[in-house]
Amino acid sequence: MRTVCKLSVAVLALVVSSATAARAQSNNAFIQASADVQTPINVTGVQPLAFGNVFPGVIKLVDPSDLTNAGRFDVTGQASAPVTLSFTLPAALGSGPNSMPIDNYSAIRAQDAMQSVGPLLFAPGAANGATLSGTGALFVWVGARVTPTVNQAAGLYTGNITMTVVY
Amino acid sequence: MKLVSWLAVGAVLLTGAAPPPLRAQGRPLTVTGVRGVTFGTVFPGVPRVIPRTDPAGSGQLDIRGPNQSQVLLAFVLPLTMTGPAGAQMPLAFGSSDAGYSQSQAIGSQVGFDPRQPFTATLSNNGRGSVFVGATANPAPNQRAGAYTATITLTVTVLP
Repeated sequence: MRTVCKLSVAVLALVVSSATAARAQSNNAFIQASADVQTPINVTGVQPLAFGNVFPGVIKLVDPSDLTNAGRFDVTGQASAPVTLSFTLPAALGSGPNSMPIDNYSAIRAQDAMQSVGPLLFAPGAANGATLSGTGALFVWVGARVTPTVNQAAGLYTGNITMTVVY
Repeated sequence: MKLVSWLAVGAVLLTGAAPPPLRAQGRPLTVTGVRGVTFGTVFPGVPRVIPRTDPAGSGQLDIRGPNQSQVLLAFVLPLTMTGPAGAQMPLAFGSSDAGYSQSQAIGSQVGFDPRQPFTATLSNNGRGSVFVGATANPAPNQRAGAYTATITLTVTVLP
């Protein structure tokens, strides 16, 4: 009787073994997808381009090297990453119904806030290449010229200068 | 003793009736993840495409099984990659982002849609490789850091 029991177990084992082998017709494996995302770009308008007092008929220029009056943008992002700067520049400043031409834009970019590390003069346009510093910083100054007419209406004239930065 | 004999016969019949193990038809089916899909450096707001033909960036899985057998390839694909603090980055697979190569050469693939099951034939020596590409779509304000996801391939030998 003991032999019968052993044989029964053997039969069961064989059947289970066969069924297991049949299920092994399918198999799987996985791989990883991986990416190293860099620091997002942040752009801040730090200082407006300020012409101060302007007199009718007297052209006034603000140079981008003027740390006090040139418009300034600060950029942060991934260290040493190449970026593209693009500018939207108004052709005139407005004051209610009145306008005053603005042109001759120029810009300086540097890797520090004093224009002492790697300053470069460039014409701001649709696509200006630049590289963030080793700490992921970039500073940009914008200068321009306004040309008030001799009968320019008095008032506060403003316009928006936009700089977009992408990797 | 007669009962013992009957049991022995029963055992033979039962094992004979069960489907033959795959080993009897050739080698067992194995699937091995060889290489992951590697996007490397990704900048926020800039999509990164890895073609399935990219020898360094594309993913690869190797298959071994019965010679010349037909197999069904089915992926489980992640929609996002997970990064620091649970941040998610969209991941997309196109209609030709997977490729099958009987010769296991990245340069001789037949493209297929990894979002759909695909039937392939293993080589004369029971081999094949699957290559995978994808597109990562980081948002402009995507949180910086390392992102990962798991791509699973299930292979089934067709009768």
